[in-house]
Amino acid sequence: MEILQILTTVAVSAAIYLLFALGMSIVWGTMAILNFAHGSIFMFAAFVGYLAVKQVALPLVAVVLIAMIAGALLSVLMQILAFEPIMRKAKNAHAAELQLVIGGIGLSALPIFVAQRATLSNPFGYLQSTFTTEYYDIGGWSISNLEIIILVVGWGLGIGTAIFLRRSRQGLALRSLGVDPEVASLMGVDRTKMALSGMAFAGALAGLAGALTTFYLSSLTPESGNYILLKAFAAIILGGVGSVAGLMIGVTVLAGSETAVILFSSGGWVNAVAFGLLFLILVIRPQGVLGKKEVRRT
Amino acid sequence: MISQWFAMNSVLIDQTLVVFLLALSIQIPLRLGVISFAGIGYFAIGGYGTGILVLQQGWNNVAAIIVCSIVAAIVATLLGFIIAHLNGLYLGMATVSFSLLFSAIAINGGSLTGGAVGLYGLIGPIETWHVALVTVVIVVLVYLSERGRISRRIDAAKEDTQLASALGINVIRMRRMSFPISGALGGLAGAFSISLKTTIHPESINFSLVILALTIIIIGGQASWVGALFGSLFFVWLPEALEFVGDFEAIVYGIVVVVAAVYLPGGVVVVYKDWKHRRQVKRFLAQAPDAPPRDELAGVSGRSKDDAS
Repeated sequence: MEILQILTTVAVSAAIYLLFALGMSIVWGTMAILNFAHGSIFMFAAFVGYLAVKQVALPLVAVVLIAMIAGALLSVLMQILAFEPIMRKAKNAHAAELQLVIGGIGLSALPIFVAQRATLSNPFGYLQSTFTTEYYDIGGWSISNLEIIILVVGWGLGIGTAIFLRRSRQGLALRSLGVDPEVASLMGVDRTKMALSGMAFAGALAGLAGALTTFYLSSLTPESGNYILLKAFAAIILGGVGSVAGLMIGVTVLAGSETAVILFSSGGWVNAVAFGLLFLILVIRPQGVLGKKEVRRT
Repeated sequence: MISQWFAMNSVLIDQTLVVFLLALSIQIPLRLGVISFAGIGYFAIGGYGTGILVLQQGWNNVAAIIVCSIVAAIVATLLGFIIAHLNGLYLGMATVSFSLLFSAIAINGGSLTGGAVGLYGLIGPIETWHVALVTVVIVVLVYLSERGRISRRIDAAKEDTQLASALGINVIRMRRMSFPISGALGGLAGAFSISLKTTIHPESINFSLVILALTIIIIGGQASWVGALFGSLFFVWLPEALEFVGDFEAIVYGIVVVVAAVYLPGGVVVVYKDWKHRRQVKRFLAQAPDAPPRDELAGVSGRSKDDAS
């Protein structure tokens, strides 16, 4: 039964990583926008949920919805104010790449700052929410209602997105942007509109991940976004940028190795796992496990 | 007066020099189109290496600084060989994880690295003017690389890899060469940092240092050491100069960085060069009243307009 318990933990943290990284990976893979501020969207959306819960005792669904809306709005705002102008002005894709990263780094400081001021850098949680965690015991294997929600939402959305990208016209249009933006725009794909909806989707999922993480860990610090961002990079590159199936493998490997490190060592190395994995995969197989996108070579 | 000013601001002067060296360490690969954040990793090697050699092995300070800079350069060379096949952001991410691995080692290194507290109490003969002297020598070398043939080769390798290769420039070799130089500079910055501040801890080599070094180069400019110097001065002295900024430091930095990324992709140096160029054109026109109409002389933009028509 103990192994089942461990597997549950792995699947739950993998589901949270998946929710966080899903939109980010798609936007990066198709529109070549690597959003360095994604971690602070995650944190700030959860923080907006916290502000709402402090006023009214809300159920889980309402908190999650508020966080998702906040995340989507913040993400779209960043796209309009910074990423779109950078893409429009940049001379070439290479120059845009670096500027987008820098713009993202600058943007990420702003929500973190606001949250730090408001909470005085203390962790925040959803204590006043009407949601209570209940544990079910099935023959020695214990699982909570929250864990079930995270598993269903995370993996369900992951699989749903994968099917959407493969089957729908919009999915095809989005993927075509990743292959050749110029030809795609000649075929009538509106890059600007696609980028906006892609960013809204990514932001909403980051907000969802943020709110669920806050429920799951019972608190979040204003700085927590940076850590999950670096972990998400590892998972995305591990699976291959833009590949949803690859991302699922990536988050599972990441969550699995982190859990293994916590089990077999003092736990201090847990943050190093993501960096080690990232470095290793870049050296061995830079296009990722399922990545089709060709890595440009010098 | 002047000596008083130096004494009052010695901490900031030390910090400027260290940050400037670190910024150069990241800028030199960037001039060749290599986005490398490994400078922080080299900084960690230099800083922790010097600390361990002097405090725990009883080495001479100067010897430790030299050895650690060389070790950082060797590690950088190896890193260059391992990740040479990567490009763009992939290379950037590989170097970020390389750097952050060092911060994980520093936290978990037990008595060797001092854990979360770090290493402290390194008192030695190194003073600010020693560091300033070394920095000047380095700046002269960097300045030489920004002139003449070598600078044109570097520009070609950055702007158009294929064209540069066609012209007989070995781009990959040049990129590999940039790694040990960057490593030595980063190692030196770390070694000087612990020598001047007497201490180093995991907080001083974490992700925010990666961001600071990158931001400095972006604000100043990627192409020249002047940009790195300007950025270092700006980010070290701004919090002092603007005391009212105080608590709002983080948000001011964030906004400055975003605005720079959107509107000043070349940094302050490019803005200054553009302004100088325009002023020269204006003066030329004023001196020669019979000169041809304005748009034909408006420099590069005028020429491209002709091409288009």
